[in-house]
Amino acid sequence: MVNPEKSIPKDFWRNSKIAVIGGGSFGTVLANLAAKNCQEVRLWVRNEDSARAINATRMNSRYLPNYTLHSNVSALSALDRVFEGGLDAVIWCLPSSSCREQAKRIAPYFNGNEVVLHATKGVEAGTLKRISELLREELPTRRIGVLSGPNLAEEIAAGKPAATTVASVFAEVAQAGELLLASEQFRIYRESDVIGVELAGTLKNILAIAAGALDALQLGWNARAMLITRGLAEIVRFGVAMGAKESTFLSLAGVGDLLATCSSSLSRNYQVGYRLAQGEHLSQILDDLEATAEGVTTTHSVWRYAQIHDIEMPITESVSALLTHRKKITEILQDLFEKRQPR
Amino acid sequence: MTTDFPTGEVGVRFQSLPVVEGQLFRFEQTRLRVLADVVSKTFETFSKSELDLLLGEALYSERFRLKRERANLFTRTRYKADKALWSKVQDGLLESSVAVDRKALLRSVIKHYAEEIGGHFDPRVYRFATHAVPWGMNWLLNAASVQRFLPWGMTESLASRLDVIGEVSMLQRLAHRGTILLVPTHQSNIDSVLIGYLIYLMSLPPFSYGAGLNLFSNPVLSFFMSRLGAYTVDRKKNNGIYKEALKNYSVRILREGVHSIFFPGGGRSRSGAIESKLKLGLLGTGLEAQLQNLRVGAEKPNVYIVPMVMSYHFVLEASSLIEDYLAEAGKHRFIITDDESWDPRKVLNFFWKLFSSQSGITSRIGRPMDIFGNFVDEDGQSIGPNGTTIEPVRWLTTCGELKAEPQRDHEYTRELGAKIVQGFHEGNTVLTSHLVAFSFFEALRKKYPELDLYRFLRLSVAQRSMPYFEFLTHAETFYQIVRNAADRGQLFMSKSFETSDIRTWVKDGIQNLGLLHDAAVVKVVDDVVWTEDMNLLYYYRNRLCGYGFSLLSEAGGGLGGQPGKIDSKGFLA
Repeated sequence: MVNPEKSIPKDFWRNSKIAVIGGGSFGTVLANLAAKNCQEVRLWVRNEDSARAINATRMNSRYLPNYTLHSNVSALSALDRVFEGGLDAVIWCLPSSSCREQAKRIAPYFNGNEVVLHATKGVEAGTLKRISELLREELPTRRIGVLSGPNLAEEIAAGKPAATTVASVFAEVAQAGELLLASEQFRIYRESDVIGVELAGTLKNILAIAAGALDALQLGWNARAMLITRGLAEIVRFGVAMGAKESTFLSLAGVGDLLATCSSSLSRNYQVGYRLAQGEHLSQILDDLEATAEGVTTTHSVWRYAQIHDIEMPITESVSALLTHRKKITEILQDLFEKRQPR
Repeated sequence: MTTDFPTGEVGVRFQSLPVVEGQLFRFEQTRLRVLADVVSKTFETFSKSELDLLLGEALYSERFRLKRERANLFTRTRYKADKALWSKVQDGLLESSVAVDRKALLRSVIKHYAEEIGGHFDPRVYRFATHAVPWGMNWLLNAASVQRFLPWGMTESLASRLDVIGEVSMLQRLAHRGTILLVPTHQSNIDSVLIGYLIYLMSLPPFSYGAGLNLFSNPVLSFFMSRLGAYTVDRKKNNGIYKEALKNYSVRILREGVHSIFFPGGGRSRSGAIESKLKLGLLGTGLEAQLQNLRVGAEKPNVYIVPMVMSYHFVLEASSLIEDYLAEAGKHRFIITDDESWDPRKVLNFFWKLFSSQSGITSRIGRPMDIFGNFVDEDGQSIGPNGTTIEPVRWLTTCGELKAEPQRDHEYTRELGAKIVQGFHEGNTVLTSHLVAFSFFEALRKKYPELDLYRFLRLSVAQRSMPYFEFLTHAETFYQIVRNAADRGQLFMSKSFETSDIRTWVKDGIQNLGLLHDAAVVKVVDDVVWTEDMNLLYYYRNRLCGYGFSLLSEAGGGLGGQPGKIDSKGFLA
């Protein structure tokens, strides 16, 4: 039986105009995915030259060479043009470090009926606020959700199959995410535990750094499996303390994302760990990377919070030591193995 | 922000402010239309339901209720009518649906409920009540007050003992721009009377409010309430039809522009704490009313939510309430029908004590909010972050349509509830007695940290005392903690704290704390502080819970509070 109620949102989103804020690799991929399901996608990039380049070549060559953009996508750098005529949804793909500042700038352009879906896997440094909390504080809308999962942009761009999770306390936001982004190669699962989905996506970056380090030292599969399992236990502990549901960590946004990030050399956080273990200096690595490695700031913020609130996180502690070059990697491993069994 | 509203010192004798007329004054003309709308709206809700099942369930719960209810002289008529209706429904349900139309049955049930819920408003009674009742009160006040010995005689008025502070002028302004939904904290049955009078004092038009049906069994109260715009709420009727009709009535009168009062906690606070869990169903009617208004393009569509916090030194029903709380009698919570507030002598005693003690009742009007919990400015515009203005129409539009979305609206209302709870806590005015009770209770707890709540409350008389000087050091500590919290904007402190000597306010607190009760809540004898009633002490102490003031590690050790949280030993943290 066809439910006439159901087709209203479908038709609505098919005719909608949306914006993607942030023209990094994942932002570009999401813009392209959404382009197939709506009328117009405006991709906001910070500088005018790259906007022009993207529109001229129909490609975001800096992040994703050889990935042709859908004809519905246009890149813009002026915010008033992005929001011209009103938007129906905003997909937020900025690095966590610039979220607050950009949200403040963008807030006045909002009408209030927009649905916001963010794909930032990080937390605000220092305050440890989740991105949905931060956006709620800055944007004049409450219909905010999160998108997170094992989504290496390069693979999705290559047309390989993938799935992701969208979560929001507002059912319509998750529904919008599904109707806008789903395709034959990209499957959407709806979740309701926003805290869990956001934290899982954030915390796994810490483990990705550790996984890179282990691989650089060629410690083998056993060590990797150990890291992922014990690491999962650790991030679940932290997540639950922050109000997440334990089961969320078993979803695509949790284990799913963890497995993809820890096993793939495509992950930037993995690369950071890999090169650190080879003895390079952090500042050097970050300079080389084209984009942000969220795990670096996340590790520091999480470790500080865990210390204050007495949450046992030995792997995070180790990664923090590695990132600050407080200890040599051999010492860190030694410490980890000598550590007393947590209950 | 305080206002030029005449409070405190003014105290004009027999002060009679002009009565401000509002929508409620025209209520009788629209009443029948309102009730008809409620009936059709409620009927519509159930149009797709399985009527046999719906009516059957209602019949079952109503039969059950009627069996347990005892009618008195004044409620007999209603009781009989109820019985007749449900007998008719029962007979009807036993027939086939061809012989007896289920829709007609449902309609008659809804009609019956709507008629019971719907109030009346008689302007003459309102004029009488706003003048005569305070006059009587003033007379009592002057008789009780020590100032009666002064040569100029009757100098005090009830108004001078009621302190209203906070966003009064904003409330007055917004009352012209939309419909006000006043949400006060609820400690005592006296609240509704006082709030009604405060509304008149603030030069606001009369408000409508839901009053428990049990209040109507008292003929005097019933006479006044049923003519002053009160509608009845019977918490014992828990079937879906009744709840829907009640909700629709409240939405409908808000849409009529009738300002209303809801006690969002559902009933009086049992523990003495400020409400932390609110009844969202009732609260959601604000959003629903505004949404319907916007859909039909009403002239003043907005509903503004205004929190209000009342602070008492003593609460008439304290002992029954705390007993009920401690018994955790969740099941028969709403059936205290014979507590102190029904005994006229006790009520008289309450006011006598209030007036003779020179103390007053402080109430604070909190910052008005929109239906989502955003603060509004003086013009009633919702304030968003970063200098943005929120248009409610936009927030209520989903997929391009302005319409009700139950899941979305529930979420908005949940956040509004959280904002109200926050507003209650931030708008709380700490009285000296509250801090005395809190300090003494926590100081005692420090002596017996291993005891859980129930064992603690059974401390022997010798155990529940301490030297006065020792108590003073604790009081000083907590004073500093609360003062810091007040500086951070987490609450307010009453004027009585403005003294350089700690002994002054402590004395004031001890004098006023639970003055009404036979047992002394805190007593100083020969430089020893002790309490005659641990339960009452706990009740008054709870006014300051939810802020994380307790220094004990079980309660989080002062690491910030969470309203409604209970620590590992069973105490309200």
